[in-house]
Amino acid sequence: MAGSALDRVETDKPYEALAVTGKAEASAGSPIIELAQLTKTFDSSGQKVVAIEGVDLAVRPGEFVTLVGPSGCGKSTLFNIVSGLLDADTGGKIHFKGEERQGKELLGTVSFMPQRDLLLPWRRVIDNAVIALEVEGMRRKEAREKAQVMFQEFGLAGFERHYPHQLSGGMRQRVALMRTFLFERDLMLLDEPFGALDALTRVMMQRWLLGIWQRHRRSILFITHDVDEAIFLGDRVVVMTARPGRIKLSREIDLPRPRDPHVTTTPEFLAIKADLMEAIEEESMKSFMSQDERG
Amino acid sequence: MTSWRNQATPVAAIVIVLIAWELLARANASPNMLLPPITAVLADIWANLEILLRGVRRTLTETLLGLVFGAAFGFVAGAVFAQVRIFEKMFFPLFVVSQTVPVIAFGALVVMWFGNGIMSKVVIAFYLTFFPVTVNTHRGLLSVDQQRVDLLRAFGASSWKIFWSLRLPAALPSIMASLLLGVSLSLIGAIVGEWFGDTVGLGILLVQAMYAEDMVRLWSIIVFCGLLGTGLYGIVAWFARRYVWWGTEY
Repeated sequence: MAGSALDRVETDKPYEALAVTGKAEASAGSPIIELAQLTKTFDSSGQKVVAIEGVDLAVRPGEFVTLVGPSGCGKSTLFNIVSGLLDADTGGKIHFKGEERQGKELLGTVSFMPQRDLLLPWRRVIDNAVIALEVEGMRRKEAREKAQVMFQEFGLAGFERHYPHQLSGGMRQRVALMRTFLFERDLMLLDEPFGALDALTRVMMQRWLLGIWQRHRRSILFITHDVDEAIFLGDRVVVMTARPGRIKLSREIDLPRPRDPHVTTTPEFLAIKADLMEAIEEESMKSFMSQDERG
Repeated sequence: MTSWRNQATPVAAIVIVLIAWELLARANASPNMLLPPITAVLADIWANLEILLRGVRRTLTETLLGLVFGAAFGFVAGAVFAQVRIFEKMFFPLFVVSQTVPVIAFGALVVMWFGNGIMSKVVIAFYLTFFPVTVNTHRGLLSVDQQRVDLLRAFGASSWKIFWSLRLPAALPSIMASLLLGVSLSLIGAIVGEWFGDTVGLGILLVQAMYAEDMVRLWSIIVFCGLLGTGLYGIVAWFARRYVWWGTEY
């Protein structure tokens, strides 16, 4: 934890340069995080359930990796392990910036955004946004000043002193994202952040997130079960298998950036989608069938 | 218009009941006056205002002290039980057992331990108050959304930070609910406590009026007990609505 301030100084600047030159350079360099043979077994009332099995995955600096898979494929389990909330089974390894880390050692090293916004109803929007900074020990006043400049960019200007219940779903999600961005870590984990939004708002949020990411250039690992979303956002789409979750395939998306929404109707996009859909449908079928058996 | 009606309807009901009461009491007027007319009660209150207010002051003091100590102790106990499982296992059953013994059974004992003054009433009020606060604090602190706890942990928060920034605010609505219960219980404790012997207080006035078979005075005191209970409840309820407005579901 003590090194976190230093890390930031080292890493923030190079990414700005990357933002200009684009993806090729972003792919260079050693991975921010590297997962090797991660397995997690849950023991529920004597029955062993393997949530994920032998997961290998690396995220390079500045890379936007999207992770798709059928529901119940252990995506969230994977996130909980990477964020330090869960211990993986022994045998798997996690390297964060080249250093091996496990379990609790990862707490506070990645910026984590769960599916639900999880805003605290008693805190004003600005105080919700700075909670991670507060945890780091920053003074409330200083943290608020730091957050204040981001409100415009996040489309929340004028709502600083509102309470969460006064905001729409899309705005609450942006507050949650702002909270995640303010916790300045080189790797951000976003777990279906737009899953609960209506289709139109979701498209707006995706474009907006790309804009933000292109300016800030953090590495992002993004869970979704929407294939369009995965292709539109990602430098690389990783498909997971039905339980137990394994990496089925990993595919580079070489659509040019910046991407605008029309890219989703181009032949290139549709070709990629057809490929991925085939893999995903196969897996969805498997998880559907196994649910059927259980039912 | 509608909101005016909404407010007026219960008031109208009260007025109707009061008028019916007055008419009924006058029709049955007897020396014993099982149900004295309201006008007689009001006249008695006016004539004895000083004695009654002295009683209110004393009982109010006992109630507030009982509530403050009960709430503070109840909160600390609930918080300790929520944070330290071994204490919960050891002492929580004792707390439950303590509440199965009616406080009246302890009354004489408390007076012998704490004397005939204000302390014994405060102790009885305290005894009735702390338990609901303990239970609700304990439950409120533990029923916090685990995903929110995980989020703060993922940011690297200590359990101390999680307590102050998450568990406590999340538990406040249920703690406030127990205070509303506590305020009524504390008043009961104070009044009952006075029955074991004292010279001032609403409880003592009640006992004196009972022995004197002074039906009008009895009702005067009941009115003040009611005002005291409603007033205290109203203040706590206002405070809860104003400062702890978020619910337990969000």
